[in-house]
Amino acid sequence: MAMVDVRNVTKVYRRDAEELVVLNGLSLQVDEGDYAALMGPSGSGKSTLLNLIAGIDKPTSGEVIVAGTDVARLDETGLAEFRSHNVGFIFQFYNLIPVLTATENVELPLLLTHLSKAERRERAATALKVVGLADRASHYPRQLSGGQEQRVAIARAIVTDPKVLVADEPTGDLDAKSATEILDLMGTLNRDFKKTIVMVTHDPRAAERAKTQHHLEKGVLRD
Amino acid sequence: MKFLPYLLKHLRRNWFRTTLTVLAMALCIFLFCTLQTVLAEINGLLEGTSARRLVTRHAVSLVFNVPLSYGARIQSVPGVKRVALNAWFGGSLPAKKEETKAEESSTADFSNFFPNLAVDPEPFFAMYPEYVLPPEQFRDFMGELRGAVIGRKLADRFGWKLGDTFFLESFIPPHRKPDGPFEFIVKGIFDTDPVKYPGTDTNIMIFNHKYLYEATGRRLGAGLFYVEIDDPEKAGEVARAIDALFENSDAQTRTETEKAFAASFVAMAGNLTLLLNGIGLAVTFTILLVVANTMSIAVRERRKEIAVLKTLGFTSKLVMGLIVAESVLIGVLGGALGIGASQGLMWLLTHTPGIQDALAGLGLSSLSLRPLVAALGFANAVFLGFVAGFLPALNAYRARITDMLRTV
Repeated sequence: MAMVDVRNVTKVYRRDAEELVVLNGLSLQVDEGDYAALMGPSGSGKSTLLNLIAGIDKPTSGEVIVAGTDVARLDETGLAEFRSHNVGFIFQFYNLIPVLTATENVELPLLLTHLSKAERRERAATALKVVGLADRASHYPRQLSGGQEQRVAIARAIVTDPKVLVADEPTGDLDAKSATEILDLMGTLNRDFKKTIVMVTHDPRAAERAKTQHHLEKGVLRD
Repeated sequence: MKFLPYLLKHLRRNWFRTTLTVLAMALCIFLFCTLQTVLAEINGLLEGTSARRLVTRHAVSLVFNVPLSYGARIQSVPGVKRVALNAWFGGSLPAKKEETKAEESSTADFSNFFPNLAVDPEPFFAMYPEYVLPPEQFRDFMGELRGAVIGRKLADRFGWKLGDTFFLESFIPPHRKPDGPFEFIVKGIFDTDPVKYPGTDTNIMIFNHKYLYEATGRRLGAGLFYVEIDDPEKAGEVARAIDALFENSDAQTRTETEKAFAASFVAMAGNLTLLLNGIGLAVTFTILLVVANTMSIAVRERRKEIAVLKTLGFTSKLVMGLIVAESVLIGVLGGALGIGASQGLMWLLTHTPGIQDALAGLGLSSLSLRPLVAALGFANAVFLGFVAGFLPALNAYRARITDMLRTV
């Protein structure tokens, strides 16, 4: 069963009179438990596709069905709710809130739930333990290395137990050693925690870790 | 409430900027509360007047006395119920109260100044129902030329009780006697009904004008005359009739309602209400711009974080609410600080020798922040915070996640 089902999606950006077709009738399926890598040159539309899957953007036409929900049909509030329940987003530049500790950063998505503070803290601690940063719980982002920051970001992405993890070049800002650690961690999340992962990457070594690879070029899938 | 720690952490992010913004807000609310309190106190003084009472004084200035004989002539004007002469004694407690002997003149101690009036007791108390004095105390007072009647607030201030003796010496030369300060014996303590007569000050002392007149060689005139009339609707007519009586005399008079008389003191400072409100409005608007600017910068700096929040599932409304709440929090902190500072200043003014006297002379001895003014000041701070945060929050509400994530 497809966890992500992208059907004949077109995405057009308009700037004044100019129209830029970023995705052109693209279709893609990612099965539940799959680990898919989206590859392609800059401007091929892979990040746009990832944003559509994550529900932070809407297609111009076509359907984007994620975890059984057609994202294209949701309004602003519906999309926000969809993201909070179904998607964990991992950014290239981690995007942690600098004034919050690792625990508080991980706890952030849980503020949208009805969990008590103690329950939120417990879940955040568990997520940090999964990513191997239990001993850095009270550290601020500036006190962490790039790899550690990305692991905190991954903990934030998994703390609500989402159905899909989307990662936009998660190793793009890391050295080789840290990148390997992050890829190992993502492999673990896919293998042991059965998380469906869609990852955009330029790095062939990262793509090799994925179960399936998809190549985009000028807004269409090549294979 | 679960978002409060998050908001506080953001406020601490750039603590210097937050502190300055809070201080700016505090200054605004401080000025608002202080100016409005002064206005409220002045209006309170005007409220403490009666439409049934007129004041007749020298047409040129309050500095000049009018002849005592005017009292009987005013009494003869149709519509006049009773007349009470009044003189502002201007007395202060001698500097060394304990050691002072009646026959010794001494330096006046202005740090304990309070209003003191020499009056015609019977008509005065008859036309001032605001001052509630037990009949037996009034009888005692009338039976003793050195007797003084003091207000409750004054009694509490100095711990004076019936039978206590104190000395006053006037700074007005004609009100001094050659053998030293005037001796007074507390013969009555009056109260007032604050609900029925709001604005009535009991930080005041009243004594028999006859004592002053006799002790100073029977040469004094009257500072002014309080005139009670039968019908408040005929105040203008009666006032004109009184002034017409003395039109061709050396000491022409000016008669007006007690409220107009009290208001003329305020008018001495120009249109105080307009001035104070103008200052308040200008400061408020300036602070609005300062806080709005701060919030705009804060939101601009956090565009990526706002995008992250939205990506995590925070709705645009919630993000907008958080930004407005942060701005309102600045308003709350600044408001609380401003109100506290205003109250502190009032306390300082009313407890600082010299300033305290000046305020007492103006009838503002009980200057303190009124709950309504404090509440208005706080509401003003919250409103300013809300308005200042609204536009930046609206921008964050409208911004698309993908656009904000691209921001470097």
